[in-house]
Amino acid sequence: MNKKNRLQPYLITTLILLAALVLSFAVGSVFISPRTMIDVLFSAVRGEASALDPNGVYLKIITDLRIPHAVLLMLAGAALAGSGGAYQGLFRNPLADPYLIGVSSGAGLGAVAAMMIQWPYTTLGLMVVPAAAFAGGILTVLLVAQLARVGKTVPTTNLILAGVAASAFASALTSALMINSTGELRRALVWMMGGSTQTGWGPVWGILPYMVVGLCGLVIIGHPLNVLQFGDEQAQQLGIRVQRVRWYTIAIATLSTAAAVAYTGIIGFLGLVVPHIVRLVWGGDYRRLIPVSMLGGAGLLLLMDVIARSVIAPQEIPVGIITALLGGPFFLWILKRSKSQNYW
Amino acid sequence: MKSFITKICALLLLVVLLSSCAVPAGESGTSKISLVDGLERPVALEKPAARIVSLAPSITEILFAIGAGDQVVGRDSFSNYPEEALAIQDVGGSMGSYSYEMIASLEPDLVLAGEINTPEQVKSLEDLGLTVYYLSNPENLQALDEVLAAAGTLTGHEKEAGELAASLNERINAVLSAVAKAEAQPLVFYELDATDPAKPWTPGPGSYMDELIQAAGGRNVGSVLQSSWAEISIEELMVQNPDIILLGDSNYGITVEQVATRTGWENLTAVTEGNVFAFNDDLVSRPGPRMVDGLEELAKIIHPELYK
Repeated sequence: MNKKNRLQPYLITTLILLAALVLSFAVGSVFISPRTMIDVLFSAVRGEASALDPNGVYLKIITDLRIPHAVLLMLAGAALAGSGGAYQGLFRNPLADPYLIGVSSGAGLGAVAAMMIQWPYTTLGLMVVPAAAFAGGILTVLLVAQLARVGKTVPTTNLILAGVAASAFASALTSALMINSTGELRRALVWMMGGSTQTGWGPVWGILPYMVVGLCGLVIIGHPLNVLQFGDEQAQQLGIRVQRVRWYTIAIATLSTAAAVAYTGIIGFLGLVVPHIVRLVWGGDYRRLIPVSMLGGAGLLLLMDVIARSVIAPQEIPVGIITALLGGPFFLWILKRSKSQNYW
Repeated sequence: MKSFITKICALLLLVVLLSSCAVPAGESGTSKISLVDGLERPVALEKPAARIVSLAPSITEILFAIGAGDQVVGRDSFSNYPEEALAIQDVGGSMGSYSYEMIASLEPDLVLAGEINTPEQVKSLEDLGLTVYYLSNPENLQALDEVLAAAGTLTGHEKEAGELAASLNERINAVLSAVAKAEAQPLVFYELDATDPAKPWTPGPGSYMDELIQAAGGRNVGSVLQSSWAEISIEELMVQNPDIILLGDSNYGITVEQVATRTGWENLTAVTEGNVFAFNDDLVSRPGPRMVDGLEELAKIIHPELYK
């Protein structure tokens, strides 16, 4: 591939992401015209009040609601799509998504369990639910890995089976908690469908450290994942320490997915579909697939969120509903259009 | 759990005490309102709120009932009563999430949240620089006074709130003394949802329906359940054999005729004797002043002999 073609996937996904960002800032249940928005932002940079926004409401909407929300979703979309791509490579399974070995059901259990208790209304009390989701996700994966381990190795089949069983168990516990609750039911349901719960910059700062580590960590495992596609033995002979790559991928994908899920709830389908779209369009080289999936995942989630916020405004639909509702047909369309017989 | 309830009660009492002593501070003409809300947050207003956003249907109903209806500039999607409320700007809430930007753009001086809202939602609104008051649901029917008093103080309608509370209490007492004369306490089954007629959803202990049915001189089939909302087995329903069935799901199109066609239901006393009634669920599920309407309706259905 020549240089121009090598850059093309990155350029296209970056353009989609930028367009999605602009849309995300521009669209909301309150209409702010582009002229007002530019004036408000430039006035804010100059440190004066805009004539078009005497009470500063628009500025507040843009800087305290729309921008941090977009950044949070961008990070979550990148983490989910990147982890999904990495898992598909690691498990050599087209059905793998970031939730495969239990991180989402564990996080769901943690979050819903934390919602059952009325925590004091303090900064710490408000952090309990995302913290419990994060911890629940990571603990579940640790447990699954422990159960699937055979000596020093961890066979992928064992991981998948242990993951499925643990997920079912955690989901059953979550449902039992929800059935037994009264007021928390709606809150739990919205969380499970990917409705973000907190606004403002707090959640962004909260997950940023994990995201930086997770996203960078995902980008650099492209090469070992490529080699892994030849099978464990071949990879071993080619100098890849298979078990180490496996543990590393699981750790880094779990970290970033759990962090994403902690504040945005469970957003389904994105982590499964985006890497497949990238693979269909640009091929399965993981050195490219993972970063391009991240860019695409971030852009796509933002676009889905714009739809979720605007179709029945001022009501907002949890974004997880939209990702599954539109993601499914969109993926089928891509699949149908692809010329290759077996792209996987 | 018990100590938790005691704490909440103590808190409510504190709220009332604070609200009652905070009001008459207007010596210098700047009467500042300061209360502690249901989340133990201190809430202060320079003057009674003039631009209010209500995030729950019960709160919208309370505001209109105490004469603060024209101060409401935004309401949640579920607020459909009174009819005037429908003309007010909708700020979302039907899918559990509100449009914060819509709320901010209304520039309210007070956002009234309820138990339908999460602490995260309160925090999000607070972060936008808005004054939020979390209005807890009343512990029981009698405790409606305290909720009305808080709403009255915040909106500058203390007098109307007090009058409303007094008239509601009068009506509650009228029902209580009327049903005290009743000879029997009919068994009532309140249907929340019977999509699966073999295990319909019904209110259990701790729900307003349970309390209201008992206050109206009936016994609630769901009293045997563990939680406030649960599915009850058709077998239990057949054994208890209720005298009256109330269709709280009639708002969703369930009719009296449909009940008789369900397997196992056709031989229930309530069905054979024609004591199945549609019931407006909003009257007993929204912790606002219309609960007293609900109580009166229930008493009339459960004890028609007393209301001839």
